[in-house]
Amino acid sequence: MGVKTGISAAKQQLISCHDCHALWPVEEAPGHCARCGSRLHLRKPAAMTRTWALLLTSAFLLLPANLLPIMQITSLGRGEPATIIGGILELTQHGLYGIAFIVFLASLLIPIGKLCGLLIMLFTLQMGWTTNMQQKMLMFRMVHWIGRWSMLDIFVVAVLVSLVQMGNLAQISGQQGTTAFAGVVICTMLAANTFDTRLIWDRYPDESS
Amino acid sequence: MPTTHPDYRHLIACNECDLLLHRPVIRISQTARCPRCQSVLISARANSIERSLALACAGLILILPANLYPLLTLELLGQSRSETIFSSAMALFQDGLWGVSLLVLLFTILVPICKLCLLFWVSLGLQMRWSLPGLSFALRSYLHLDEWGMLEVYLVGVLVSVVKLAAMASLEPGPGLFCLAALILVTTLSSSMLDKDLFWARIEALQEPDQDGR
Repeated sequence: MGVKTGISAAKQQLISCHDCHALWPVEEAPGHCARCGSRLHLRKPAAMTRTWALLLTSAFLLLPANLLPIMQITSLGRGEPATIIGGILELTQHGLYGIAFIVFLASLLIPIGKLCGLLIMLFTLQMGWTTNMQQKMLMFRMVHWIGRWSMLDIFVVAVLVSLVQMGNLAQISGQQGTTAFAGVVICTMLAANTFDTRLIWDRYPDESS
Repeated sequence: MPTTHPDYRHLIACNECDLLLHRPVIRISQTARCPRCQSVLISARANSIERSLALACAGLILILPANLYPLLTLELLGQSRSETIFSSAMALFQDGLWGVSLLVLLFTILVPICKLCLLFWVSLGLQMRWSLPGLSFALRSYLHLDEWGMLEVYLVGVLVSVVKLAAMASLEPGPGLFCLAALILVTTLSSSMLDKDLFWARIEALQEPDQDGR
């Protein structure tokens, strides 16, 4: 077994299981990992195609998510639709800057930041850039970790809709914008999952002697 | 056939950059990182299996009151209305947003319950050294479900709603809110206490005598 450390496992015909990290030589590898039962691949299958598809879907969904109202607020018989940006502006008008900032972060900055982060990763992979690798990995880990927090606005709408049901006095109902927004969040989370960071390291020159 | 290849047990490949390394020997509460991409290779936790079992039990107990008791009660001109996690998902359903309501149901009720049950099953099997069926499938599912449980995001959502509504009505926190907070503490602790490498190694140790006997 002439394997050397300090070189990527795949270059030495070793498959590392994606789930339990057991190592298998390519020629003897079973179809599924004998320890955890996960299907063995050298790299996640069609990683770049799937990530691009999910990324484009979420980029398109970003438009209806921000343009369509996420809820309809009716008070004293007078109804008005509320969008995500409208909700943030309303919070700042009431002087609630802290909460406005949290909602701004979760509903606007994080989804757009995630899209940009994943775009950078995809371009890195496509162009074969090997500079600032550690920074890129750090960014990718941030994108991966922070994704779920974008669901915040959906949960706020869910809580408001179930609490404010006072007939003509005050009534809040959910609108179609939430579906599009939830789509953005799910697609970016899935896109981060289908991406395989090992692919961008495959072009990286080995440091070993 | 053994469950891992004997020639390569002393090696480990980085999960994020695929660099092949000698498996580091680390002490309790130490973490080994990949020298090339700085991702976590393995992290040892003290009494990981016992603590996971204890936290899974605590979580399974807490998840009942967190879902059954009201989280918030709103009072406005003599009318009052309470809210639970389930009722907030149903409210979206009644507005015709069945997709979003299904997602809320999944991320805040079904996934957390599944995660706790799976963690209980795996840590019970490993703690008692019982070769329970589906241990490796349960651990694999748990690790995949991990990021889709969003209780803490929901709790922040409840707090944002409180701030939004505080100006127009009086709000009362219910017992469910405190149970939810405790549940989040338990699930967060259980994620940080899980020593994946140890769990896989122990599952392997449980599987092997079985397969020799066949």
